Amino acid sequence: MHLLWLRVAAILYAAASVAIFPAVLYSAARWRSASVHLGGLAFLFHFVSCVEMLVQAHRWVPVGAREAESLLGFLVAGLFFLAWWLYDAVSLGIFALPVTLFLVFVPALGTTGYSFPSQGVRTNWLIAHIAALLAAYAALGFSLLASVLYLARERRLKAKLTTSTESRWAPLDWLPPLDTLERLAHAMLLFGFPCMTVGLLLGAVLVQETSLGAAYFLDPKVLASFAMWGLYVLLLFLRQAAGLRGRRAAYLSGAVLVVMLAVWAANMVSHVHRFGAQ
Amino acid sequence: MTLAVIGINHKTAPIELREKVAIAREELPETTRALAAMPGVSECMIVSTCNRVEMLASIDSPGTDLGSFLHQHFGVDQALLEPHLYRHYDLDAVRHLFRVAASLDSMVVGESQILGQVKEAFSVARASGTVGTELDHLLQGAFAAAKRVRTETEIGSNSVSIASVAVELARKIFGSLHGRTVFLVGAGKMSELAARHLVQQGAGAILVTNRTQERARQLAEPFHGRVIPFEKLHETASEADIVISSTSAPHAIFTREHGQAFLHKRRNRPMFFIDLAVPRDVDPAMGKLEGIFVYDIDDLQQVAASHMEERSRAASDAEAMIAAEVERFQQRRRTVNVAPAIVSLQRQAEEIRQNELKRMGAKLGTLTGEQLAAVEALTRGLVNKFLHPPMQALKQAARENDPARMETLCETWQLPTAAEEPVAAPVKLEPAREKEPSAVGGK
Repeated sequence: MHLLWLRVAAILYAAASVAIFPAVLYSAARWRSASVHLGGLAFLFHFVSCVEMLVQAHRWVPVGAREAESLLGFLVAGLFFLAWWLYDAVSLGIFALPVTLFLVFVPALGTTGYSFPSQGVRTNWLIAHIAALLAAYAALGFSLLASVLYLARERRLKAKLTTSTESRWAPLDWLPPLDTLERLAHAMLLFGFPCMTVGLLLGAVLVQETSLGAAYFLDPKVLASFAMWGLYVLLLFLRQAAGLRGRRAAYLSGAVLVVMLAVWAANMVSHVHRFGAQ
Repeated sequence: MTLAVIGINHKTAPIELREKVAIAREELPETTRALAAMPGVSECMIVSTCNRVEMLASIDSPGTDLGSFLHQHFGVDQALLEPHLYRHYDLDAVRHLFRVAASLDSMVVGESQILGQVKEAFSVARASGTVGTELDHLLQGAFAAAKRVRTETEIGSNSVSIASVAVELARKIFGSLHGRTVFLVGAGKMSELAARHLVQQGAGAILVTNRTQERARQLAEPFHGRVIPFEKLHETASEADIVISSTSAPHAIFTREHGQAFLHKRRNRPMFFIDLAVPRDVDPAMGKLEGIFVYDIDDLQQVAASHMEERSRAASDAEAMIAAEVERFQQRRRTVNVAPAIVSLQRQAEEIRQNELKRMGAKLGTLTGEQLAAVEALTRGLVNKFLHPPMQALKQAARENDPARMETLCETWQLPTAAEEPVAAPVKLEPAREKEPSAVGGK
């Protein structure tokens, strides 16, 4: 029965994770209320699930990677709600709620290793995983490009260069306005983020077949992917909440891109992920 | 038939004289009809803008002097007007009109208004019934030439006035200006002009502050702007995307620290400072902040001057295009002029064919319908084949403007003379000396 409550909690955490982004990035009161309520309900079901799981087993210590993951997720969510209750710090939810979802998602699949009903389903799952992550990488690359063009346009405006055709800067006259470049960079990040999140979740399910257990969280590929996701969230958060733009935004986008390249490079040493491996 | 252009413009006449002969839009149809009623004028139109009043006419009498119309109609002393008039005939008139339409004769070379004004004058003349085939062809040629110049050169691509340069820069920062807030600090004429340009481009709220509250109110009124007390200058400035400053303060009123505070309040959204004051109102150090763009009067003038240079370069390309277009127009005109001779040649040949058919009718006897059609086709084909070389020769001679060859051809074939014989320019007077434009701006 505890698995049912955990699955309900996972769905509610997913909904709260979606709602927290407009709540924090656009200070939308309705989304803020929705994310707190959905997260609160998820936390309640998660609590019931944890208690039931431990009571059924007649012990107070979690056993196995899945139970530990679930309990860790419960603690992360608990700390977030404590911070919200004490300091009204809802913006922390932009990290806490999706992390909790990641931690709860795999244990909610079942107590033992997950196996796909057929090879066809697995192949489609794999295609969706690859497509979502490639879309995220493309969006990130495009965002970085827009940020670099922003810097070039800004430099040109600051230098007060004329549009003389003899100027060596004349080829940069085609650049779009600064505001357009800024909005483009931001919109690309907003598009890429859900793609990356979905891609990582789909990958987390795919890896269940390998029955790696706790070793899954020690794999360099997995660690780099989560680091990239965290940095992505940080980039979005800083751009929107702190008004980060221009040079610093371009540098941070560059940092995320470097981590993205590291994720690609991690294929060389990963035990759970290899290109071409089905 | 002679084409003639007579008029005054910003290069030949001062504004005091131009305003005496300027024609209001509502009076233009009547004045155009009055000109058309002048003896010897077969077609005409009048272009009247703040920089020029020009009469363009097709005249068929050598004694017609359009200049007399100006002083008679407007009651301006001829002695006063005459030294400022310019006159162009035929090819010169065509070239002049093409240059005017392409904005090569404007005070600000490359400005786009003049083409619209010529089109409007043409449409008024057409509505007044004073335009025929001659002027219609001429004006279509002028519009085509102007379009070619605008699309194939960079003549009108960059702004050359301080106000429009400011708008252009604002666009490079913000893209669309819709909904952008403009803050006018000080009530200078130039800042008012820049604000007007920005509002025309869609800028939203206008905030105005000045040490004299009354002056601020006067300036804000036409823009439906909000007057801000001068003491609240720094408090309010962060609301604005574009700040146009033109106070007479002896020191900078916006410093780097102010800039940092604005950026903090705006969460780093960019700001554009247009500093039109001397001494400067904005500390240049503020421009070093990321997200703040400061342009002073020298910067704006420098951009405008560089754009002007680009236009000058484009203007020389445009002149070559105009020369080619004028030549093309002339060729078309000559070909049209040779048309009566060609028609006459065809008529003569047809008459000969018909007479020969009649003469041979008795000898041929009774023919069936099919046989008759075959004879018709045969004779017509022969005539056309014989006529082809002389017709081509006539057209070629017309295109190459070779009157001697055309005369020989016409004599050979006993045709009416088709060579273009321009009517002697009537009462040629010394053209007015053209002065350099005195200022940049205006229409």
